Amino acid sequence: MPTTHFSLDIRKLDNFAYDMSKCIKCKGCYWVEHTYMPGVRFSTRCPSNTWNDFDAYGAFGKMRIGMAIMEGKLKWTPKLLEIIYADPLCGACDVGCKRNLDLEIGLSLEAMRVKAVQDGAGPMPAHKKVAQNIAKHHNQFGAPHENRKKWLSADLKVADKADLLYFAGCQASYVTPEIAKAAAKVLNASNTPFMLMPDEWCCGNTLFSVGMLDEARDLARRNIEAVKATGAKTVLLTCAEGYRMWKVDYPKLLNIATTDLGFNVVHLVEFADEAIKKGSLKLSKSVDVRLAYHDACGISRLADPWTPYSGERGWMGTVNPRLKRRRGTHGLYAQPRNILAAIPGVTFVEMPRTRENSFCCGAGRGTKEAFPELASFSAKHRLEEVREVGAEALVSACPWCKSNFSQAVREQGDTIKVMDIAELISASVGP
Amino acid sequence: MGIAKRAYNALESIVGQKYITDDPAVCEGYRCGPGCYESGLGYERVMTKIPAAVILPRSTEEVQRIVKICNRYSVPYVPYSTGFYGPRSHCHVDNELLIDMKRLNDFEIDEKHMYAVVGTGVIYSPLQEEAMKRGMYVIIGGGGAQASVVANLIGDGWSPLSHRIGLPHRRILGTELVLPDGELVKMGSLAVGEDPFWGDGPGPDLRGLLRGFTGLRGCLGIVTKMAVKLLPFQPEKLMPTGIAPNTALALPQNRMKWINYQVPSKAAQIKAMFEIGKAEIAGAVTKVPLFWRAIAKAECKEEFWDIWGKENEDTIKNFHLVRVLLIGFTSEEQMKYDENVLNDIMAELGSKPRPTKPSDESWIKNADSAGMWLMCGSYTSVDYIIETLSHATQHGEFYADLKKKYTPPLMPDYGDPGWFQSFELGHQGYSEFLVYWDPDEDTTGVDHFYVETSKMNIKNRFYTSLLGPHQPLYLTGPKYGPNYHEWLLKIKDEFDPLWVCHPPVPLAHDVFVERSEWMKSIKDWEVPKKFPMPKWE
Repeated sequence: MPTTHFSLDIRKLDNFAYDMSKCIKCKGCYWVEHTYMPGVRFSTRCPSNTWNDFDAYGAFGKMRIGMAIMEGKLKWTPKLLEIIYADPLCGACDVGCKRNLDLEIGLSLEAMRVKAVQDGAGPMPAHKKVAQNIAKHHNQFGAPHENRKKWLSADLKVADKADLLYFAGCQASYVTPEIAKAAAKVLNASNTPFMLMPDEWCCGNTLFSVGMLDEARDLARRNIEAVKATGAKTVLLTCAEGYRMWKVDYPKLLNIATTDLGFNVVHLVEFADEAIKKGSLKLSKSVDVRLAYHDACGISRLADPWTPYSGERGWMGTVNPRLKRRRGTHGLYAQPRNILAAIPGVTFVEMPRTRENSFCCGAGRGTKEAFPELASFSAKHRLEEVREVGAEALVSACPWCKSNFSQAVREQGDTIKVMDIAELISASVGP
Repeated sequence: MGIAKRAYNALESIVGQKYITDDPAVCEGYRCGPGCYESGLGYERVMTKIPAAVILPRSTEEVQRIVKICNRYSVPYVPYSTGFYGPRSHCHVDNELLIDMKRLNDFEIDEKHMYAVVGTGVIYSPLQEEAMKRGMYVIIGGGGAQASVVANLIGDGWSPLSHRIGLPHRRILGTELVLPDGELVKMGSLAVGEDPFWGDGPGPDLRGLLRGFTGLRGCLGIVTKMAVKLLPFQPEKLMPTGIAPNTALALPQNRMKWINYQVPSKAAQIKAMFEIGKAEIAGAVTKVPLFWRAIAKAECKEEFWDIWGKENEDTIKNFHLVRVLLIGFTSEEQMKYDENVLNDIMAELGSKPRPTKPSDESWIKNADSAGMWLMCGSYTSVDYIIETLSHATQHGEFYADLKKKYTPPLMPDYGDPGWFQSFELGHQGYSEFLVYWDPDEDTTGVDHFYVETSKMNIKNRFYTSLLGPHQPLYLTGPKYGPNYHEWLLKIKDEFDPLWVCHPPVPLAHDVFVERSEWMKSIKDWEVPKKFPMPKWE
């Protein structure tokens, strides 16, 4: 039986020809998995295809379109670029497919964007502006680089040297500094020394996500070297997008395993959950609020560690050597819920769609920049669930989620309070 | 060439610019394959086309107006609910309009009178969840959790739970059908009022137009709304557990329990199903293909082959299971009574219970259809029959024999006689034969096997349900009737004189055989020089 060589390298779209060609339109990528199906309301988990009903906007349509791109049957047009880029790449489709079919849907979607860039068609103009900002100011908003650590107030203790390095990221540094402050306060409260990167730059999430791999790889190398130069053993993030970038996509870009990074990558929820269990972080102050928790994609279904793969595909599509599929099972689902359960006064209610079935806020991976209407739609759709369960507050673990949900709440004139889990933990550790 | 501009503009005026497109990229997203039901087979390659345009109506009235315009401008069209049914539910001719029904997703439930009214875009698992929240349940089966309720009920729509809940045509109540020319037919009690509570209406029962035994795959109109009967269930919640892919519904063991029994022989298997039916116990009674057990155990495709590769003809021939779902519909006491009766029956037959998970992964809110593609990347059910229990089981054995001749390219299954179960408390026996192959190999043998199954059914007098839409009508029609084909074509001509509605169904498989050189060697039946239908290419 002849075999075909392939790898999980997203620089070549035809590495995913098998995955794209074996999609059967079961639409497990679009609907909430049947086990957790909450009913007729809130029954979908794909922001893109909920926003635009044509099949082309669902992963099942995109797999067919990807095949046509690979075979040179489709020309790049504004509509085709919209189909490829109006998508937060939230991973809902990937975990949905891997319940039954194990196709690499997420990687196929990433490879399509890389192909768009390789062909000179992508990314979108708004993404090119982000790339310019990063090149010039080392952050994606074009804000002055010297303001990056403005969030750091005098009351926060930062070590010159420590095993733990907190990487705040662009969003928390410039847009939602309260998250960075809260994280620092939590670390201080647990008596955990931490340092910052001497000269923090953008993680490159948007560049990677829109297919600008060369630019993203340069940042990955630069940032990894910068961490190694500090001697830090662990990089801690409060940004789910950044967490995914450091843990999964830096190794992907450099063709190494997550375990080969040379340091650990953790999110604040992992750290805090562990610290609460060990007793080093005490949550004593009551926070009287009825809240819902939104699983940010980057720390949930997209968070499985990366291992490079290259092998042969043969009879019946079996692969050799064995491939350990990334199915979103190692996401940080329990940790934030443990934390919320430990905060006095908090009444935690689950929304109809949770964990791997969550409905993305719609902001990430270049979506809010190029398709703000999709990001707004997605956030407002998710907020309906918050109202459905009667929560006063919506808590997430990513500044992108907070920023996008906050904007949607403002636009709707609602009273739902949007918070990051760092702020909530911080509120419970005292003044 | 596409759809004529005047026709397109008229269609756009119905739904607005946002819900119609002829953009090549968007239309490409509606390509059938290559992955699909009947993945990579000749029928998919030869008979499916990318739509020239796609339209998404929101209401029955919009569907009527769309269909009338299609008739006025001779635009062929196909109704499309979720597209999961593979090539049979996609465009077959050039310049065709695909009517995507997903926006017809209205849902109402009448708890008191126990029915739900669904639009074509409503799928199975939300309906089941809404029913169970209210102490009721339904079976849509067939395509599974993500398949359209309406499409499944007018097509197949059964599952192991049909042991008690029965066949789908008994659960179709008031229904709206837009005929191929755009006229609206209201069936059942909807014919005389606004309440769809009852399936029978005045005059002839037009539900036969929808589905007959099984459906005609959209070639006789478009169902836009259907009331579906719900039945009483046990009251306790089935708790979702686990993270994908290892998710399941935890069953309340005092009210629901799957039990697998190993039985000593094929005869004992059939006898067990008869006796369980006679005792009027259990919610589901089935014997599934044995490789499904390997799917359930395997963590990945490669592990499946590790597990299944250890089997052989002897291990399969001598391993007989009966899988029973007990449901305490009325009380815990009833559940205990059922279990005692079941244990008595199985003990008398020399059967032993085997360890069984206290959960359900596949049947309550799902028919785990998508998992069928894991092993090979392809799957289709070539045939299913509903007969007596004893006759149905022979069907599977004949199939297994025929299959040996076509393995490879079919997957080795070591003579497993397929899926076999009791319907309607043992009054009917169900046999379904599922096949799998490597879609990246030469699939000519699978195309041949498909048609040879019809010949086998005719020869051995099995009543297949896939007559018109899945097999050459001129092969099956003269044998099942003897003029079944003529009758069906007259119905088609009467209701769709232009054949605008999903052409060339119900002659599509005939056309496929005529167009495909590799099918000529097995074509030994008569066909007219010209098929009696308008030519669309």
